Amino acid sequence: MTTVEAHAADLPQPGRGRREAGVPTPLVGMLLFIASEVMFFGGLFAAYFNSRAAHAAAWHPPPGGELDMPLAAVLTAILVSSSFTMQFGVAAIRRGDQRGLRLWVGLTLVLGVLFLLGQLYDYSRLGFGIGDGIFGTTFYTLTGFHGAHVFGGAVGLTVILSRALQGQFSAGNHVAVEAVSIYWHFVDVVWIALFTTIYILR
Amino acid sequence: MTDATVGYFLIGIAILFVLGLVFALSSRQGRLQQERPAPPPGVHLPTGSYLPVVLAVGAALLGAGFAFRPEGMIANIFLAVPGLLVLVGSIFAWVRAAGREWREIERGAHDDAPGH
Repeated sequence: MTTVEAHAADLPQPGRGRREAGVPTPLVGMLLFIASEVMFFGGLFAAYFNSRAAHAAAWHPPPGGELDMPLAAVLTAILVSSSFTMQFGVAAIRRGDQRGLRLWVGLTLVLGVLFLLGQLYDYSRLGFGIGDGIFGTTFYTLTGFHGAHVFGGAVGLTVILSRALQGQFSAGNHVAVEAVSIYWHFVDVVWIALFTTIYILR
Repeated sequence: MTDATVGYFLIGIAILFVLGLVFALSSRQGRLQQERPAPPPGVHLPTGSYLPVVLAVGAALLGAGFAFRPEGMIANIFLAVPGLLVLVGSIFAWVRAAGREWREIERGAHDDAPGH
């Protein structure tokens, strides 16, 4: 059974739920949205590599500025951990464990907010801005757009947590949790690609 | 503390504020809809709206505010602040319009309306 079929198996039945057959509409919508986001970040990565190739000799932070690799590594660990906690939450509600869902989604939200605040702290200490050369522009554009997506995911997690606290999800009806979890994993994967590109490959 | 640091600090506060607002609104909406009717079967396509265009204009203004900023400032406030207001306002208006439309669809289901 594929993941999509597994999602479909535990969703509301026709007549009561929001679908008649096949993959639930919210999941299709989320997958299509993520497909468009892949194209969006593909364009940003293309801009990064193109700029880097065109300015290879000057491809480093402006004078007085330096990337904070240890802090970025900690932020990476936080975001990757949040993907695990999110998946624990999904597994909990698939079993009908509402308390587990609240716990894991709450923890995921905390980790997501920590990542965002950590990124802002990193920005404040970098020593260069978005207007300081081609490196600064591409760095802030990529990481800034990713941060905006993390914020979007945090909004989704907040809504899921609020609904979970009201007991609106069950083992048979939790498509919103699945959709937000897919988005959160996508954001995590994009950050791993960003971290590898910007901090490791340099 | 530099202007940029203050700016990032304010962004952090704004992030926490927006998440708290979303939580409060979501909780309130949940209480109001404890006994909501089941939606109709089938696929529903939303009606047309000018709000996506407004949202895009707000995003463009916000982006321009960051791109065309004075020296030493995080953004041009005359572009970024109106852009942010238009962006956030149009998002809220769009979500409210979509929610209102969906509630009408749900009510229609009880009148034996066909799938939307």
